[in-house]
Parts: sequence; C-alpha cells; structure tokens
Amino acid sequence: MRGDFLSGGYKQQPGSGGNSIRKDGKRVAGKQKFAPPGSGGSDPVMKPRDLDFIPEMVGGNEKQPAGAHIHDRARTGTIVGKPTTLVDANAKVTGQAWYGDDVRLPNEIIGRIVRSPHHYAKVVSIDTSKAEKLPGVLAIATGEDAPNSFGVLPVTKDEHAMAVEKVRHVGDLVACVAAIDEATAREAAALIDVEYEVLDSIHDMRKGLEDVDEPIHWRGKYHVGTTNVQKRVFQEFGDRSMIEDPNAMYHGKWKFMGVNHGFTEPHAVVAHWDSNGRLQLYTPQQVPHYAHRALATVLDVPMHQVNVIRTFVGGGFGGKSDPFPHEMCAAILARKAGRPVRITFDREEVFWVNRGRHPSHIEVQMYADEEARISGFDIDALIDGGGFASFGHVTSYYNGVLATAPYELGSFHYTGARVWTNKPASGAMRGHGAVNTRCAVEVGLDDMAEQLQVDPIDLRLANLLPPHSRTISGFRITSNGMRQALQKVREGSDWDNKFRKLPLGKGIGIGCGFFISGSGLPIHWDPNKFPHATVHLQIDMDGGVTVHTGAADIGQGSTTAVAQVVAEVLALPIEMIHVRSHESDTSPVDLGSYSSRVTFMNANAAIRAALEIKEKLLNAAWDTLGYHPDTLVLNDRRIYYKHDPAIGMSYLEALHKAQEDKGALISSGAYRSPPMGGVHKGAAAGLAPAYSFSAYVAEVEVDVETGMIKCTDVWAAHDCGKALNPLAVEGQIIGSCHMGLGQVLTEQMVYGRTGHLQNPNLLEYKIPSVHEMPNVTPIIIESCDPEGPFGAKEAGEGPLLPILPAVVNAVYDAIGIRINDLPLTPDKVWAAIAKKMKVDGIEDPSSLPVPRLDFSELQSKLAKRAANHEIRDKRRQTTEDTHAYVNGVLFGFDPNVPLEEQVDGWKSADKPEPEQLAELGLAGKAWLKDEQRHMGGEN
Amino acid sequence: MVGEEHVSMVPAAPSKIWAADVNGQPKEVLVNSNAILLDVLRDKVGCLGVKRGCDMGTCGCCTVMIDGEPRLSCLTMAQDAEGCDITTVEGLADGAHLAPIQKCFADHGGSQCGFCTPGFLVASQALLNENSNPSNQEIACAIEGNLCRCTGYQQIIESIQAAAAIHRGESELPAPASDAHPDPNPSGPDEPTMPPGHAR
Repeated sequence: MRGDFLSGGYKQQPGSGGNSIRKDGKRVAGKQKFAPPGSGGSDPVMKPRDLDFIPEMVGGNEKQPAGAHIHDRARTGTIVGKPTTLVDANAKVTGQAWYGDDVRLPNEIIGRIVRSPHHYAKVVSIDTSKAEKLPGVLAIATGEDAPNSFGVLPVTKDEHAMAVEKVRHVGDLVACVAAIDEATAREAAALIDVEYEVLDSIHDMRKGLEDVDEPIHWRGKYHVGTTNVQKRVFQEFGDRSMIEDPNAMYHGKWKFMGVNHGFTEPHAVVAHWDSNGRLQLYTPQQVPHYAHRALATVLDVPMHQVNVIRTFVGGGFGGKSDPFPHEMCAAILARKAGRPVRITFDREEVFWVNRGRHPSHIEVQMYADEEARISGFDIDALIDGGGFASFGHVTSYYNGVLATAPYELGSFHYTGARVWTNKPASGAMRGHGAVNTRCAVEVGLDDMAEQLQVDPIDLRLANLLPPHSRTISGFRITSNGMRQALQKVREGSDWDNKFRKLPLGKGIGIGCGFFISGSGLPIHWDPNKFPHATVHLQIDMDGGVTVHTGAADIGQGSTTAVAQVVAEVLALPIEMIHVRSHESDTSPVDLGSYSSRVTFMNANAAIRAALEIKEKLLNAAWDTLGYHPDTLVLNDRRIYYKHDPAIGMSYLEALHKAQEDKGALISSGAYRSPPMGGVHKGAAAGLAPAYSFSAYVAEVEVDVETGMIKCTDVWAAHDCGKALNPLAVEGQIIGSCHMGLGQVLTEQMVYGRTGHLQNPNLLEYKIPSVHEMPNVTPIIIESCDPEGPFGAKEAGEGPLLPILPAVVNAVYDAIGIRINDLPLTPDKVWAAIAKKMKVDGIEDPSSLPVPRLDFSELQSKLAKRAANHEIRDKRRQTTEDTHAYVNGVLFGFDPNVPLEEQVDGWKSADKPEPEQLAELGLAGKAWLKDEQRHMGGEN
Repeated sequence: MVGEEHVSMVPAAPSKIWAADVNGQPKEVLVNSNAILLDVLRDKVGCLGVKRGCDMGTCGCCTVMIDGEPRLSCLTMAQDAEGCDITTVEGLADGAHLAPIQKCFADHGGSQCGFCTPGFLVASQALLNENSNPSNQEIACAIEGNLCRCTGYQQIIESIQAAAAIHRGESELPAPASDAHPDPNPSGPDEPTMPPGHAR
C-alpha cells in the first residue's frame, strides 16, 4: 500500500486542495495552492458574512428569544455556534498528543513511591540503608525532606509530600525512590524498611462523629470536640412553620457509595531542575496554578523559579485538580538526583490518590402544601472525606446549598458534616457535591407527585424559579432554561403516553439538575484585587494570533472555545488562532478547570482581549479609509465600509498599519465575577455568575427475575446558555450520561469489613462499556445568559446530575419499588423485589403490581399555574418584565420588602439554636460538640 | 503494590534482540527476554501513541494490530510478537494525510481527552479492514474492550460509521472546515505536539 503511494511520483506538501481522494479513501497530495500576499489566509476570496450566525439585533438571522446580548456587536458569524472540530483533535488522533507519561527527557530516571500498608499508623522509623546500597538507586526521600504542608484550599492545608508523622490510609505516601529504571526503583522501594505503630482506624463515616483519642487530623482551636469532623455546616432559610401539616411529605434515607473518576490516563509527572536551577514540572493538571503554589511552598522556592507545564490531560473530571504529593516527590527526587525524574502511576495507585465522589449518607425530608407548592426541604448529609480535606470544605456546603434551586421553596434546612476516615481522600468530581443530594431530592419530588396524584413534570413546571430571580439562599439566577428543558424532554420522550402506562419491567422517569457555572469567589484571591481569568493576545506581522491563557484543556475543549471566540471577534479562520496554554511561564494565571468555570470566565476574558485588538484594527482602518469604526464591518480577513463593501482593506493591511508605531499588537483581557450573594457564613459557597439547568427523561428495562437494569433511552436537555460549539456540548451531555449512569447502576468503591479497598482496578470497578450505554438524544437549550460569553454557560458538569434520579424514578415506574441505595446493582434490586413479594404475598415476580396514575384535581390547577408561569418566564427572560423576583413570591410575599420584615418566622441562620440541637439529623449531630476554643482547649 | 509480596525484578532478565515490522518499518531493538510488548513499543521503539491505562487488559488504550488483529499490547509478551507486522496509531495515517477513521474521529467528536483514542482507532480500523459495512452492534462488539470515560461512546460509533461510509466509497473525506492554511504539521493550531526531548 505504502509502496504504490510512493510510486505515485513526487510527493508534494500535504494540506492542499483536498479534492483528489482515491477509491480506498486516501487523499493524494495535489497541487499546492499558495495564499496570495496580504490575505492572511489560504483562501484568496473573502467568504460572505454568514447571517445565520449573526444575531437579529445586529442585522443577522439568528433568533434571539432572550433579547439582545452585550456581545452581539462582537459577533461576526465566523465560527461561534457552529460544530467545530477540537483544535487539538489531530494531535489526539495521530498519537502525537503528549500526556504525562509521554514526556521523555534526556537522562531521565524513574521514581517509585513507597506506600503505607496500614490504615492508620504512626511512622516510627524509616530505614533506607538497604535501598541505598542497591546499584542503580540515585535518590531516596522521606517526609523529613519536605516538612511544609499544603492543600488545595488555603483553609485546610493538611497534606504533606510524604508522611511526616502518621499515615492516614492504605496507600498513603511514606517515602520515594528514584533509580535508573523501573525494575530497580521497584526493588529499592521494597527494600525500604518502615516501622509502624498501628493506631485504631475508622472506616464507618458515622463513627467519625464520635470523640476519639487520636483524631486523624488536628485542627487546633477549631477542632470539633475530639472527633473526626473536618467540617460541619448548618444553613436555614425561610419560614419553618410552613412545613407543618403538609399535604404531601417525602422522607428518604439514602446511601451513596464512593465513586472514582475513572479517567483513562493514570497520574504521571516529570520533574526536571534545569541548568538555571529552575524547576520544570510536567504534569497532567486541571489546575496548574494551585500545583504551582503548592510546589513553591513545599520545595521552599519562590513561585517564579517553578514552571508548571501542563501536558495533555487524559481525562480529569475533578480528579486531577488537587496539587498532588507525587508531584512534590518527583521534584524532590529530581533535586536530589540532579536528573529528570518521571513517576507514572499504576491503576491501583490512582485509586489510592482517589479524590472521587464522597461516600454519603443523606437524609431528605420534603414537604408540599395544599397547592402543591414546595413548603420545605430538610437535608442532612454526612459525607466521608477519607484521609484528607482536599476540596471537602466546599463539598460540605454544595451537598446542601445546590439544592436550593431550580424550585421555589418555603423553607430550607440543611445540616452537613464531612468526616475524616482512614480511606483514600474524597474530593471534587464532576458535579461536585451536588450529585447525591440532587438524586435524593428529585426522587422525593417524584414521590410527592405520586402522593398528590399529579404528573411529576407538571409539579416541577409549577414550582420553578423564573429567570432573573433570587433563590432562598440568596443566589442570583440570571438566565434560566429549566422550563424549556422540561418541555423538550416531555415532548421528545413521548412522556404523556408512557408515564405510569408502561407494562411491568419497563419504566420512564424524570430528573432535573442545577449547577454552578464557575464559582463566584476564587479559592485563593480576594476578588477585588485579582481577576478570575486573564487572557493575553499577541499578533505579529504574519497575522497569526497567539492566545496566551492558563486555562487547562482536559478534553472538554476549552482551548477550542477560546480559539473560537477570538476567531469570532476578529473574523479570522480558526487556523490563524494559536492557543498557548501549557506553560505557567508564558500563561497568565488562570484558576484552572474546575467548578465549570472555564468557558464562562476564560472566554469572557478572551472576548475582552480580542475586542481591544479589534478596536486597534478598526482605528487603523479609520486612518486609512476615513470612515468611522462604527460604520466599518469586520468580516473574514477584511475590513470594509458598511454601505459600500468595495471600500475597504485587508486584515493584514490594517494590521500592518496598526503596527506602525509599536510593532506587534498586544492586548490583555480579564474576567472578574460581579459582587453577589448574602452575608451569612457560607454565603459564598455555591455562588456563581450563572447557573446551568437540565432535565432528563430516562427509559429503563428491569428484569424482574434477576434485578438487572438496562437503561435503553435518555432524552437529555441541558441549558448551556449558548452552545459555542454544539459538537462539544453534545459530547459533554452524552459523556455526562455515561458517567452518571455508571454511578447509578454499576460503579462503587467497595471497602471490605476490615476497611480495605477491594476493587482498585478497572476490572472490578465497573465503568459502563459501550454495551451498557443507552441511546442518548442530546437536546441543547439556549437561554442566552446576559453575562456569559456570547450567552454561554457551563455544559461540563451540570448534565451529569439529572441522570441519576431519572433512572431511579424510571425503575420505580417499572417495578413499583424505590431503592435508596446506589448503585442499583442486580443483587440489591432483586433483594428489594423479593422483599416486596414476601410482604405482599406475591408468588411470581411477573405479577408484581406496577404504579398507575389517576390525576387528582390538583393536576389541572398545576397545569394552569405552569401555563401562567410560562408567560411570566417569557416576559422575565427579556426586558419586558424587570421587576425584582425573590424566592417567596409564589407564596404571596412581596419581593421588594425583605422577607424577614414580612413574615414572622422567616429567618436566615448559619448555626443551630440550642433548642434545635435535639432534633438534628445524622450529620447534624456534629453540632452537639463544641469547638476546642469554646472548651478552653488549645488556644 | 500495597500489601503484596514483593517479587524481585532485579537482576533483570537477559537481553536479546527483538525484531518486528512496526508501522511498516523493520525495527530491531535490545529488550529483556521477559519484556511486555507495550513497554517495548513505548520505551524502545518510541511509539508513545500506544497508551498505558491499566496494565491488565481492562481499558484497551494499548490496543495495537498484530498481523492485522487488534491485540492488547499490555497483555502480550514482546517475544510473542517477534517478527510480526505491528500497527500502532502512528501507522494509521498516510504520511501527513489522516486516515478516514482518524479524520472522522476528529470531526464527529469521537475524541475528547484523547487518551483512549489510539486504542479505539486501532480497534475500529481493524474492524473496517474486515467489514466496511458494520452495524452499530458490530461496532459495539469491536470496541467493547475499550473504555472511554469522556464521550459515552455515542460519538465514537458515529465516527466509525462515517469512516465506514468513506471506506465503502459512499462519501468522501470531508474537506477541511475552512480550507486550512497549508501546514505540513497536521497537529492543528495548538502548540507543537511533541514533548520536549524525545523517545529513547
């Protein structure tokens, strides 16, 4: 094959016209086309403006049901909104993309980590003498080499590069070695003798609430008693008297197993101290900036002496967003050995690092009043943090506060606690903190709809917060596409003809989601002093645009998104935009790829930078053409007079004119979220400049004889504001379904009776394969966020939330049984079926009763209310109705008067009253203990 | 590994010359007699496109074609592939021209983070070599040994169907979205795609 290609004659440069394709599908190099001078691209002819992608407010054909947007005038119809191949896709499909383990430096050596075999133990001594004598061993390090602590959140810096005193879970780092090859390094690691004094370990998170002799960490004066409580949260809003005498009530005790991200690329890191003594650290990081900070702290070097180079990231999902001890280890070993050190994890080690979703016990009580308004949510969430804090501080809040929307609530009560146990640390994972509670709450709504004998979709539609409103906890909702999402999935799934009408073993269910689009307060910075995201643009005389950004592309397509918005504003082909985002040396600080912030914040910064360049170009054209910039049109590599396109100049001509004084054009754009939110403790948690909404309908088949569940179809509607790249948004929606489906059906980290993790591998940790995937119909809802870049919001995490409750609700529809213990493995489902058969005296599972629905009179009331709300929402979406709307208007309150003044019992509390202590739930029991400072303990 | 009996790997097994055709090029390298094919391809031959995801045959990232058959290189002893014709992801493209399967993965969203992509590409190319008109079920069976955590497989199946149509001659390779600037490096507009340094 190769032979006859070569015999085809002289091989020209590739990338030409592309019309000559042989029958076997291969492209044959054709005649080279050269770009004419001055055009700045390969096509000699300017493309006409694509009016379908220019908003109608500025003369295009793109519909804008939500009205005008601040970025309308920046639209050129070039690429935003069009399905776009990821700009790094070619690197990925040719095997050239370089991930952590693909960085090969000359003279490199291999590092291995010595890990604890005990759950909880004091490290008494470490004897490295035997390992040192092994030929080929070049460096050994232990906790003594790096005493400084670090952690992703400044308030909980509780990690060390290696154990300094105690190991806190099996797999915790104790020492590390570097040797000439992997075999020698493994051998040396085995030769390191560590003497431990084993301590009593804790594995059940409920035990973490009790006082113990030796808490896993010590928080000094803020320590809660002598327990293992890392963080406790209490939040109460609204009028608690509303929940008395409810018309319907749901009470569910839920159990969620821990879930791992399961990214395909194991962690890997390469550290190299260059000839100037600066650290060059290559790592697949979602948040290179936090790693940068932590490295400087642990290694005791200034930040400017560290260059963090983000490699391609082989999947993140939150699992690569902490600064990691192994990154420190590699740097320490490289410094000692004077040679580059590469550490690559086994899959087992990935599970020891973990940072996956918290195992949780969640108790939910929900109430509805006589008009089927939701009079209250009571949520109690105990979450198992494992051995370290990680992002847990935030997770503790998210488990509650992210349930305060999209519904209007009469009252909200949340108690949460995160405890340390002797397990690998839990952390941030796609849908951070919101997923488990959301599942419980959405199933609760389904249950209440059943009690009220109404359609669960209508129950939701009649209780939604409108666009431009405020939640009960004070979050500012801007755009809100929840209603359209529900309507679209109802229509797409033929819901009205299926719900409660399918035969035994087949079911359909609904679930909704609500998630932040970027966190309103950055972790490290005072928002008044530093922006969340910064983007630098640079254009030299060749016309190519170099974008410097620190945003980490982890496969979600953030590099593509930033290239797209720059291409859109400057009306250039995307091939002329070059994104440099890998090195901290050349990238302005970006807070990284977490909390679904990148598209929103980074693209906003990029638009600002590009607009600055655009202004310079237009001013240069003004000088030359004599027409004011307001009358000039920027289109594909050309600037021309609006009323006579013949009068104009090429992009390169304008560029060269603009460069006359200072050479290369440079601009910088930044994004900072506006001041928002309440003043209570924890008010910042869950605060975001925009929120995404989603609604899914799932259809399942349950085998009543085996308990096996197969999800067959999913209709997935997600409000992402504006799909900058519909191809990527659909990919995110389908991928989220996959990950959520894993959690609800098969995935769990199984800890045995002795607390040992039993499945740290991808054979026994069951990620859905292609055969388990349902047919997903992604539906993109565009609510056009007023502050989002071209209206966009997040699409990466929110779409995961609804799939869990949708499946659980569908299972109920199929077999009439609710199971509050995820994942829904066949053994659990079958046990539940068997129990029901025994209780109801049913002999044959095929004669199980299935739930049916006879509408009550409430149904028509709800439908009417929903119809009225639809009109309200449409008016609020645009500037037609700009009245204030706060949570509580549905209950008849005045949005313009503080609710505390209108309602006697209305309150907002961040700690429990003494008389409440007796009635708190499981996690609430963390409030029964005093902090040390209140006990006269350590000052 | 935690809590397991240590099996010494030192001193290493004796070295020997290993020879095979990798991506059409005869390769001869010195390897330990107990070497795993994945290690040889990555560390000795320099095919860093072959990815290591799990080391136990569960993820499929290391899939390569051995004499046309898709195989897991992490579970294959190098000596068992001695003298064979091995194709990795690097061998799919025709020079700088992407194979249909590669182009379709790029254009249909078959690749997000891209780590599993080489394995998927090799497995699906092996399928298309045998069957250019596969049903979705046949595609699912061909890629059932490959895990992807990003895409949910749906766009991967669409990519493979699109490539199959090109193989059947029913459609043509899509022209570049906006008539790309001629660029001999097919890596797109991002940074240089090879890491600093190079394979040993």
